[in-house]
Order: sequence, then structure tokens, then C-alpha cells
Amino acid sequence: MGAVLTGEDVIDRYVTDLGSRLQGSKKQVRDLLTETRDSLTDATEAHVDRGLTEREAQERAVEEFGPVREIANEYQAELAVAYGTRTLVWLAIVLPLMHMAWEYGRMLLIGPWQDFATMPPAWYLFIAKANDLTSGAASGVALVALILGRFLARGYDTKLLARIGAAIAIVAVGVVLLGNISIILATAHLDASRLVQSSPMVVATAITWIVIVRLGLLARRCLSCATIVV
Amino acid sequence: MKPDALRGHLDALLLATLDGEQLHGYAIIEALQQGSGGALDLPTGTVYPALRRLERAGHVSSDWSTVGGRKRRTYKLTQAGQRALNAERDAWREFTTVIDGVLGGGKWAQS
Repeated sequence: MGAVLTGEDVIDRYVTDLGSRLQGSKKQVRDLLTETRDSLTDATEAHVDRGLTEREAQERAVEEFGPVREIANEYQAELAVAYGTRTLVWLAIVLPLMHMAWEYGRMLLIGPWQDFATMPPAWYLFIAKANDLTSGAASGVALVALILGRFLARGYDTKLLARIGAAIAIVAVGVVLLGNISIILATAHLDASRLVQSSPMVVATAITWIVIVRLGLLARRCLSCATIVV
Repeated sequence: MKPDALRGHLDALLLATLDGEQLHGYAIIEALQQGSGGALDLPTGTVYPALRRLERAGHVSSDWSTVGGRKRRTYKLTQAGQRALNAERDAWREFTTVIDGVLGGGKWAQS
């Protein structure tokens, strides 16, 4: 019994050490560790069948699996790419939906800009137009990155792809953030009362900001996952 | 065989191992080792990230299923994976034919 427990400790220690070095989606990390444990258990059984003791078999299995630092590095690169992919999918889908919902709400509750007593100045319309474009552009870039990432998956270094994905996510969220801050500051400068003209739109704007912050956190974690890979 | 020499061919070896089979990770490792007569000396842990990479490329798909009373992640080739494997085999045959023409005979073989 004691020998078996000692043997199990070898695999437990390896899997725990590996898990402590990984960062990414909890489900993906759990899946990888479950697969690792399965593989080590299978290898142990095979070595026991070949005549090794449980303890020796466990140690051989762990040794064959590879140095934990090296394996963690390879696992982490895949986890970083997976996290980057997830973030880019969010950006590609959520940004245009959020923008369309906000614009539809504005048209419904406030009306087109032409309906105002005075037409907003050209500089304001330029900022509004640029802000409109940021969501579409960020979403488009995310979509292109996802498609290219699939084609380049085998030909390019996983660590490099993870870093490029994270950089695209950070820049995309940064541009959307800048666009939203610009339009709010411009509106406040032009006529601050417009910012609180419609209560439902204030709520919609607050939701937009929650989504942007959420996307920003995803992008930041994406970068963190990609940069801990050596 | 040295791990570094194998690393560049790992994807193709994995695709070939999954040709017509649905296997879990350790079964793939065993098949690789048996197929090479035990000459493939690669840290077995490197197989799992490689399988994820192939899945990301759309060449392999995976499912959790119960094998031998245990829940395991099993892998199989997709149609794109089958095409990639055929292309890898063609490229390999062409490569070995060309290299063998030079290294396998003539003054190189006699020296």
C-alpha cells in the first residue's frame, strides 16, 4: 500500500508541478492535465507489465514524458494560442453586435443627428464616423487573424502565433476604447446634456463599457498567457 | 533517433499514425514507438501539444469517450488531415528519392 502511494506521488507531483506552471482557460488546463495523468498512468501500467515495480514504472513514465519545464513551455504555447483564439472570436462577434445594438437604440430613442435643432459640427461627425469604423475594423482584423491563424497553425512557431494574436487583441481593444472615449469627450464638449438625454441609452452605454472592459481583461490575460512562454 | 531530428517530422508522423484509426494519446505514442521499432526517442509529453496544434489546423478532431472503462480524449483525422497526410507522403517520397539518388549510391556511398 505504502509503495503504491509513493508511486502515485511521483505522478501527482509531476502533474501538480506542471499545472502550477500553466496559465489559460481553466477547462483547457484541466483537459491537458487529465490527459497527462492518463498518459502517465498508461505508461506506468505498460512498464509494470514489463516487470518494473510500481515506483520504478512511475519514475520511468515521468522521465519519458519529458522535463517538466520543457513540457510546460510547449503546453503553455498551445494554451496561449487557444486563449488568443477565444479572445479574437469574442472581438469578431461581440464588437459589431454591440455597435449595431447601440446604434439601433440611438436611432430609436434619440433619432438621427439630422433631427437635432442644430447639426453637429464637422469635427464631431468625423469623430462619430471614426468611432463607428473602429468596431468594424477591430472586428474585421480579429476575423482575418483567426482565419490566418488556422492556415498558419502548422507552419509557424506556436509561441510567435500566440504573441501576434495577443498583440492584435490588445491593439483592437485599445482602438475601440480610444474611439469610445473620444466620442464621449467630444459629446461632453459639444453638449454634455446629450450624454444623459435618454435613460435607456445611458444604460446601453454602461453595458457597452462593461463589455469593453471585459474584452480588455480578456486581451490582457491573453498577453499574459503568451508572454510567460520562454 | 535524436529528438531534434524528429521534431520537424512529428506532425506528419502523428497524421500517419492516425490514418484510419481513432486513438487516445498513449495509444498514439505506443503506435509511434512500435512503428519505429523503438527508435523514436522523443519526450512523450511533446505529443499532446502537437496534437492540439494539428487540431487547431483542422487536420485532427478530438472527442472525449470511454475507452477501456476510462474517459479519454481520442483523436482522428479529418478530411483536411487526410489530404495533408497524402501531401506529406508525396513530399517525403520525392525528398527521399532525390536524396537517395545522391547519398545512396556513387562515390558518396563508396567513401
